[in-house]
Amino acid sequence: MGEFAVSLNNIRKSYRLGFSRRRVEAIHDISLEVESGKVFGLLGPNGAGKTTALKILLGIVFTDEGTGSVLGKPLGDRSAHHRLGFLPEQPYFYDFLTAEKALDLYGRFFGMGREAFKSRSSALMDMVGLRRDSHLTLGKYSKGMLQRFGIAQALLNDPELVIMDEPSSGLDPLGQKEVRDVLLRLRDEGKTIFLSSHQLSEVESICDSVCIISNGKNVTGGPLSELLEVRGVDRITLEGENPEAPARLEPLSVKVEQAEGVTVLEVESAGVYRALDAARELGMTLLSVEPYRRSLEDLFLESVKEEPV
Amino acid sequence: MRNIWTLAVTVIRDTARKKIFYVVLLFGLSIISISPLIPTFELGSQARFLRDISLSLTSLFGVILAVILSINQVPGDVGKRTIYNLLSKPVSRLQYLVGKYLGILMTLAIILFVMGLEILVLIYARLQVFSPVIFQGVFAVFLESAIIAAFCLGLSTFVTVPVNAFATILFYMLCHVKTGFLHAKLIDEASGGLVKIASWTFYYVIPNLENFNLSEQVGYAGGVSWTFLARISGYALLFAVLFLIIGHLVFRVKDL
Repeated sequence: MGEFAVSLNNIRKSYRLGFSRRRVEAIHDISLEVESGKVFGLLGPNGAGKTTALKILLGIVFTDEGTGSVLGKPLGDRSAHHRLGFLPEQPYFYDFLTAEKALDLYGRFFGMGREAFKSRSSALMDMVGLRRDSHLTLGKYSKGMLQRFGIAQALLNDPELVIMDEPSSGLDPLGQKEVRDVLLRLRDEGKTIFLSSHQLSEVESICDSVCIISNGKNVTGGPLSELLEVRGVDRITLEGENPEAPARLEPLSVKVEQAEGVTVLEVESAGVYRALDAARELGMTLLSVEPYRRSLEDLFLESVKEEPV
Repeated sequence: MRNIWTLAVTVIRDTARKKIFYVVLLFGLSIISISPLIPTFELGSQARFLRDISLSLTSLFGVILAVILSINQVPGDVGKRTIYNLLSKPVSRLQYLVGKYLGILMTLAIILFVMGLEILVLIYARLQVFSPVIFQGVFAVFLESAIIAAFCLGLSTFVTVPVNAFATILFYMLCHVKTGFLHAKLIDEASGGLVKIASWTFYYVIPNLENFNLSEQVGYAGGVSWTFLARISGYALLFAVLFLIIGHLVFRVKDL
């Protein structure tokens, strides 16, 4: 196990709201760890505390209790910010600046030399497909263009850790794929990616591990491969349909589905051979046997529905 | 320092976009419009009168500008959430606040300098009298505006815009009347202990903005000494730093 790029330990955070300064708990108790070089997804329904957790990592809000670190530095230590990039969910940029000027502004905070800045910003604008529009003020950009610009500015300092809040927000399917490609490229380069997202298919396809939170608390988390694998259940895929199949196979299976000439059984591991024998007797052809893996959506819904709203 | 400078330049860009620099045109029109009011007595008196009234107008514009420029810098960034992206970069909250303040000061300096030039040109065009001494008065207005801007910016880190506007106007008025009123209370034998303590506290804790009113010296005398200018500069710096420190102490631990 490598060192942790991000860690939060028993974080608690509340806000005081309104004239009466009523205390509202945003985070009750959240702990998580993100290994360096891995892609991590923070998931949860609206109001779960994801944005507050991101703000805590960035030093924008402060914890009531708990500890944590970002790139080996304690929470709130600005020196870590030289090595991280942040993509906000909404286009929170100065809209009176052109994309070029806005990148220049952010580049100056990192103390980038002029030549290094020019080549880096040029490459990034090419990567996000905004070079032709880089002279326009950000106020004239569409939501999708702003999201692309957000990705460019988040990568300006070639960060070790990239924190992204809903990276595909506002993008069309093509844009979403491009973002996914960028994330995969960053992963291949060994960057640590911490993303908060509602796009479960995106998270499932690129994340190594996830943490699901609800009502400000951890619900479940860990490596995705372990979380999605259902121990003791295998999935058998057979070719061919037989009217007798349901009656023969259902007593041997957890679940049977038949569609377009393919039958899929979910079977307890101990009963795999019995199910295969029955299928052979029904004249069906074996296509595959594999450990059953549920989707992230299934896991998310199961985890969250148990939590009171 | 690099971060502070970068933020300051961004404030000037934003100000230019909001067309606040047009205020110098408005100021020029204002002093041109008052010039027919100049009494028709001897030439020296006319120039002195014009210097006096122009400086008073500059002071009014300076203070209004200081409030306009300062009051929404932090709340604007927090409201639009542009501050999130800035603070996710290696920018500390102190650098952010000081950068904003420096940007406000630079904007005020540019605008007030152009206003001074306008006065200089108007007096010369109207009366053929060259009055570079006017810049001493404009500099004092700049210092006064710098204190108001620091107060307003510091306060903007923890109060709403309407409350800030009210408090800053109150502060400005208090700072101008205090010399007479509070000093009288301090030395008045009839004042009770509590009144004296309150008067003493206010007298020494809040700045005396009358120190920056050089209308008389610039308008009717030959100006002030460099030593005097250095002294009021130090005085302004002291209060500006104090107000920024108070603002920072709140802002550094504030959830955004």
